[in-house]
Amino acid sequence: MTIADDIGMRADRGLDSSKGINAKAVLYGVLTTIMVVFCILPFILVIVISFGQKVDGAGWVWAFTLANYQRFFVGLLWPDEVTFLYLQQLGYSFYFAIIASVLAVLTALPFTLLLTRLRRSTQAVWLVFILASLSMSEVFIVMGWDILLSNNSGLPKLFEVTGLTQWLKDVGWFQTLRDMGLANPRNVKFKPSSFATILTMSYLVWPYAVILLYPALSRLDPSLSEAARTMGASRWTVTRTVTLPSIRLPLLGTTLLLFVFLLGSYVSVSVFATPDKQTTAVAIYSNIRGSNMDAPFGSAQAVILLISASICLYFGHLLNNKAEAR
Amino acid sequence: MPDLILSGVSKSFGSTRAVEPTDLTFAEGQLTALLGPSGCGKTTLLRMIAGLEDPTRGTIRLGDADITALPAHKRKFGMVFQSFALFPHYTVRENVAYSLTIGGMAKPAALEKAQSLLETVQLSGFGDRRIGELSGGQRQRVAIARALAQEPKVFLLDEPMSALDAKLREEMQVELRLLQQRLKITTIVVTHDQREAMTMADTIVVMSNGRVEQVAPPRDIYHKPANAFVADFIGKANFFDGVYQKGGVKIGNHAVDIPANFAPGSPVRLAIRPESACIVTEPGQNCIAAEISFVRDLGPVKEYHLKSDIGPLIVEYAGTDGVQRVAGDKALVHLPVGALRVYPRVAA
Repeated sequence: MTIADDIGMRADRGLDSSKGINAKAVLYGVLTTIMVVFCILPFILVIVISFGQKVDGAGWVWAFTLANYQRFFVGLLWPDEVTFLYLQQLGYSFYFAIIASVLAVLTALPFTLLLTRLRRSTQAVWLVFILASLSMSEVFIVMGWDILLSNNSGLPKLFEVTGLTQWLKDVGWFQTLRDMGLANPRNVKFKPSSFATILTMSYLVWPYAVILLYPALSRLDPSLSEAARTMGASRWTVTRTVTLPSIRLPLLGTTLLLFVFLLGSYVSVSVFATPDKQTTAVAIYSNIRGSNMDAPFGSAQAVILLISASICLYFGHLLNNKAEAR
Repeated sequence: MPDLILSGVSKSFGSTRAVEPTDLTFAEGQLTALLGPSGCGKTTLLRMIAGLEDPTRGTIRLGDADITALPAHKRKFGMVFQSFALFPHYTVRENVAYSLTIGGMAKPAALEKAQSLLETVQLSGFGDRRIGELSGGQRQRVAIARALAQEPKVFLLDEPMSALDAKLREEMQVELRLLQQRLKITTIVVTHDQREAMTMADTIVVMSNGRVEQVAPPRDIYHKPANAFVADFIGKANFFDGVYQKGGVKIGNHAVDIPANFAPGSPVRLAIRPESACIVTEPGQNCIAAEISFVRDLGPVKEYHLKSDIGPLIVEYAGTDGVQRVAGDKALVHLPVGALRVYPRVAA
């Protein structure tokens, strides 16, 4: 091989490597563009629009005003009158999301614990089934619960036909249900109600709870609970003093994740919640896509909902750090 | 404290028999080692004693009380697990005090008693530490203190030394034995390490394939193994397959004199410990001609690997016999009648 050949080969190699760098740069460029166009840009647009101005009887115009945020916290009539309608909606968002996420985690926990004690093959079947159920949309699930809880064809009818309604009346519990808004003078009535809303929201995220808890629970060392048993701990004491403290971080993480997910829940709330208990997510939809045509205020609500969720996640992170430091 | 008595205890998992029907008595205040290879059923037996597994058949009694159906949390046998199973969310002192606090003792009193137990296991300055901050040996001491906190009638240890390094293991074996002797608590240790069993146990139960092969003090287990399995599993042994003839065993063309109760023509296995065989200069009874193939000086002992007409064998000398032998030397190996054991030969 001559020196010239060698130089030629090196040059070729340099060309190949520059081609590799170019391909890499193109790939990064495409990925960055996708991120910017589909994730960051819409997010920035929502923030920018939240400072826009609604035009009475028409749409909205670009502007820079804090009126939408002011309206969220003190109401439309400020300074003549202070109303907390939108804060109340945010409160209901938290109310439904907290109860539904805690309920989902509490019910998923014993199920997942039992699941981890099954044979591997049985566990796999259950996990596939649960993963498959995640493919069902919120609309589909809510429709199912809507039918199940409907007064004419669902559970109330079953209560009436089987005589359960009459039995509830006989034992005096029917009045309690009426007081809770779960019965009319004739029969039980599950919707619209907070009960139906929370139940559906819990059902919606229950498979996520199982999937998120499963890795931590399957890694749980069974000898820990066995050791506790040999030291005189009953099953409940073992759960209280060994199992739950051992998985407190995954429990907290799962609850937080489901909570944030449920903050944006729209269909369950709009179908099952009473009009006085609508959430921020429903209000956002009404403003942006509904009859209000007030995209700037809807965007401001979305930004505030997002900030609220971020604050919750931050506190969760702090709690997590504190627990890990122990 | 009364004896722990197992009568016909067996355990099956589906169609697999993990423990064959077993009768054992664990004498009060004694340390018994369940010794055997992995999968021989010793841990399953221990777990049945602890109440963590239900026996398929048989009864477990503590003195006169039948505890077969008694759940683990009511037996309160202290147990040390192979992984130590210490609670990572508690401090060392809280771990030790666990059985006391859940048993209803006031927390300050429980922590005080835990502290005194930590002193017993020489960890008095470690009470406030987290489990993650301890070494393997320290964790084991915490696990022992925790199991002893409830003052158990029976103390169970499942392979307690397996997570420790060799040096620490030897130290802990002696420490554990001294502690057990001081507390005079009925103790059962599961181990696959014969050295550990020989160091600690008053009685060794050798198990294989779910069966008890021999129950005897360590010395008898070593010098009078009940069968070829025990002879092979405990220590080292030279084995020679042959056929029993009146007054001896015929191995190939050689006859080894050893009286035993076998019908002539029975297939037998002859065993002798390497330290019981010796290299001699003068021919005599049970002397086999051999050639040294390898010499290994292990410090306290010298090991000769030999090829002979009856098969390969190993001879061990403690110290030195004053003769320098090397590979290739011819030698006469003497198999003393008193050191030979004959077992029936069973198909593998």
